[in-house]
Amino acid sequence: MRDPFNILVAGVGGQGNLVCGRVLAEATIQQGLRPVVGDTFGASRRGGSVLTHLRIGTTDWAPLIPRGEVDILLGLEPIETLRAVLDFAGKRTIVIMSLSKVPTVDVSSGRTEYPALDKIVESIEKECKRVYVLDTHESLKESGSTRNLNTFMLGALSAIEENPLPKDVIRKAIETILGDDDINTSAFDLGAQQCKKLLG
Amino acid sequence: MKDPKSERLMSGNEAIAQGAVEAGIGFCASYPGTPSTEITSTLYRLAHEHDIYVEWSVNEKVALEAAAGASWAGIPSISAMKSLGMNVASDFLLNLNLSGSGDGGLVIVVCDDPRGHSSSNEQDSRFYAKAAQLPLLEPSTYQEAKEVVPYAVQLSQEFEVPVIIRSTTRLSHSSGLVNLGVVPKRNWSPSLPKRVLYNVPNPHLKHRDLLEKMKEISKKFMHSKWNKVPSVKDTGLLIVTSGVCHRYSKEAIQILEAENVDTLNIVTTYPMPENLITDSLKKARSILFVEEVDPFIEDEVRSLVAEGNEQFKFYGKRDGSLPAFGEMTTDIIIDALAKIVGKKTERKKVTYPHYLAARPLTFCAGCTHRNFYWALRKVRKRMGDNLFVAGDIGCYSLGVFYDESMNSMQAMGSGIGVASGLGQLERFGLDGKIVAVAGDSTFFHACLPGLVNARHKNADMTFVILDNATTAMTGFQTHPGSKHQEGRLHRIAIEDIVTAIHPDYFAKGDANNIPELIDLLHATIKKRGLKVLLLDSICQLEEARKSLLDTHTRIIIDYDFCRGEKCRICASDFGCPAIGWNSVIGQPIILDNLCIQCGACIDICPHNAIKEVSEE
Repeated sequence: MRDPFNILVAGVGGQGNLVCGRVLAEATIQQGLRPVVGDTFGASRRGGSVLTHLRIGTTDWAPLIPRGEVDILLGLEPIETLRAVLDFAGKRTIVIMSLSKVPTVDVSSGRTEYPALDKIVESIEKECKRVYVLDTHESLKESGSTRNLNTFMLGALSAIEENPLPKDVIRKAIETILGDDDINTSAFDLGAQQCKKLLG
Repeated sequence: MKDPKSERLMSGNEAIAQGAVEAGIGFCASYPGTPSTEITSTLYRLAHEHDIYVEWSVNEKVALEAAAGASWAGIPSISAMKSLGMNVASDFLLNLNLSGSGDGGLVIVVCDDPRGHSSSNEQDSRFYAKAAQLPLLEPSTYQEAKEVVPYAVQLSQEFEVPVIIRSTTRLSHSSGLVNLGVVPKRNWSPSLPKRVLYNVPNPHLKHRDLLEKMKEISKKFMHSKWNKVPSVKDTGLLIVTSGVCHRYSKEAIQILEAENVDTLNIVTTYPMPENLITDSLKKARSILFVEEVDPFIEDEVRSLVAEGNEQFKFYGKRDGSLPAFGEMTTDIIIDALAKIVGKKTERKKVTYPHYLAARPLTFCAGCTHRNFYWALRKVRKRMGDNLFVAGDIGCYSLGVFYDESMNSMQAMGSGIGVASGLGQLERFGLDGKIVAVAGDSTFFHACLPGLVNARHKNADMTFVILDNATTAMTGFQTHPGSKHQEGRLHRIAIEDIVTAIHPDYFAKGDANNIPELIDLLHATIKKRGLKVLLLDSICQLEEARKSLLDTHTRIIIDYDFCRGEKCRICASDFGCPAIGWNSVIGQPIILDNLCIQCGACIDICPHNAIKEVSEE
C-alpha cells in the first residue's frame, strides 16, 4: 500500500459523506493503520458541495489530500464527482461515481440544465486512470431504499482491488458505526456486487 | 495489529475537550461559533460524568468573564470561541491580562477560520496574544491538541495569566487517533477571589509585571518539548512553521523529494522561544515561513534576526513567496518550495467546464427566513427600492445571496447599530427607510445596546427579529430565549425585553403567513419612529431534530391552474430547494424527498396552483 493511501469522498450535504468517512476511518483503525479524516463542516453542509478527505497511513498525514494525489475517489453525485476530479484527481486516481443526481438551485429553477452524464464521464476519463459508473438509482430502487447510497458506494469501493481495506473489515465497520441493521449491510453487499459486475 | 482500544478517533476540537477533561477543568463557558463549537458541545456531553459546569453563555465576552471569575475562585476554567468571538471578548481580555487570572488556571481556545469558510471575515487571532502579552500555543496534531490543554492550565496556574490556544478550521474539523490519558482526581476547591483584581491606579506597573512574566515564560518555552527542531544536519532550507501547516510542509517536502530541507515546528508561538529559533536558524542558509493567515511568526523572527548579524535569505508572506491571504494547503507550499529549490511541479492549471454548475448556499426547504426575504422583496418593490437593510450574523445572513436582500453584514449585533446611525440622517435630507434584521440568539448576544441606543436617540428605523428560538447555524444550542430550556435555566422572552424599552410601535408576526407578513412589513416600515417586529419563525432542521414534522400531507401542483413557463415564480424566484423544474412538461414539480410541507409556496403562487393534500 502507498503511505499515505488517499480516498476522497465527494457529494452534497446530506448525502452521507460524514458516515463514509467515519466507516472508512473505523476500518482503517481495525487494519492497524492511522486514519486522518478531513471533513467540511458549517454552513456549506446545508445542501452545498462537501468533501471528505481520508488519509490512510502509518503516521498522521495532513487533513487535505494534495492535488493529483487521490488514489480512489468515491463520488456520491455526478457534478460533485467531476468538481472533485478537476480539483484533486491525478493519473493514478480510480473514480467510482454514483448516478444519484442532486439538482443545483439553478437546475431546479430551470435556469440551466443538469449537464449530460456522458459529458461528465468523458471529462473525468481525461483526468483519471479508470472510472466506474454505478446506476445507483436503479440498483437502490430494487432494494427499496435510496437512503443507503453511502453504504452502497462503500460496497462498490470494497470491490476495487487497489483499495487497502478488506471488504469484511469495511462491512464490520458499517455495523459498528451504523448498528447491525440489515438495510445498510445489504446495500453494501449490493454495491460490492454491482461494482464487481463492472469490473468484469 | 495495534490494540484499537488504546486510541480513539477524535477531531481536533474533541481532542481539545478531552484535554480539558484530563486537565481537571471544572468550569467551561463559551458562545458557539464555527469552527470552535464542538469543543464546548463535547464538554457539555461530558459535564455530568466529570462534574464540570458547562454553559453556553450569551456572548463570548460574558463567557470569558464567567470563566475568569471561576479561575479567580480557584477553579481550572476554559472558554472556547471562534476568531470573531475573540474580538468580542477582547475588551475584557486586555484588562484581564494585567489583572491576572488567579490560581485556578484559565485557558482560552480560539479557532481561526482561514478563507472564512464559515465566517464573515478572515483574521489571525494570534495578534491578541501579542496585544495582550499572553502566552500562545499552536498544536499541529490531534494528540498535541489534547496534550497542550493540561500544559496550558499548568502554565496559567504558575504565572496567573490566561493562556491562549489557537486552532484553525482544518485541525478543529479533521480527525485522527488520540491516546487517552488519565482524568486526575479533583485537587481544587473554590474560595472567594482575592480582592485586588483591578489594574488601577497604576496599570503601567501591572504592564511592567506582565512583561516580566512573559520573559520568564519565553525562557521556559526555549526548553519546551513542544517545539520540534530540525533533524537534518546540513539544512539548505529550513521551513519555520506552526499548527496544521507543519503537516502540510512535511508532506510538501516529501512529494517534491526536496533534499536538505527540514522543518522547525513551533508550538509555543508566543512569547517566541528566541534561542531555540536562533539556534535552529544557524543550521540553515535560507528560511521559508509557513503559517495560517498572517506572517505572525515570520515578522517575529525577521525582527529577531535583524538584531543579529546573521545573513539569511527569507521567504514567506512578506516577500510574496506565499499568499498573505486565504487558507494554506500542501499544494501552495509545494509551489513555493519548488520555486525556491529550483524544481518543477507537474501540476497543470485547472479549468472548469462551463456546464459545471455551482452549488451556492441557500435556505433549507421550509426555512421561514426565505419567507421573510420574499416578503421584504415585495415591500422593497412597493417602496420603489427606497430601502436599506442592515443585516446581522446567523443563518439569515444568507439573505445577502437572496437578491441582495440584506445590504450590510459585519459583526454580531452590528445591524441594529448601523441602523441606529442611519436612522438619524433624515435631518441631512436622507430619503429612504432603514431596516435592521437579526435572529434571536444574535439579539441576546449583541443587539441590546444597539436597540437601547436607537430608542434613546429616537432613531427612525424598523428592527425585525427573526425568532426561530434556537441557535440554528451552529447546531441548536439553547439561548436565553429558546422555547425549551433545560434544567434550571430560566427563559427570557424577547417580547418582554423589547416592550420594556417602549418602542414607538411593536408587533408580532408569523413568518409562516406570507401575505400577512408582506402587509405587516410594509405598514410597519412606513411608520415613523422606532418600530420593532418580532416574527415567529421556524427552523425546519430543529423541528426534524425533534421529530415534530407532520408528514401526513403532501404539497402538489395543480397543472390545470399552473401557468408554467409564463410564470415560473415558484421555481425561479422563490428559491426553495424542494421546487424543481420539469423541462419536459415545462412546469414546476414538488420534489417530495426534499419538501417538508411547510406550505409557504402555496402563498407565493399567484394562480392558486399549489395545494396541500392529504396523504390518504
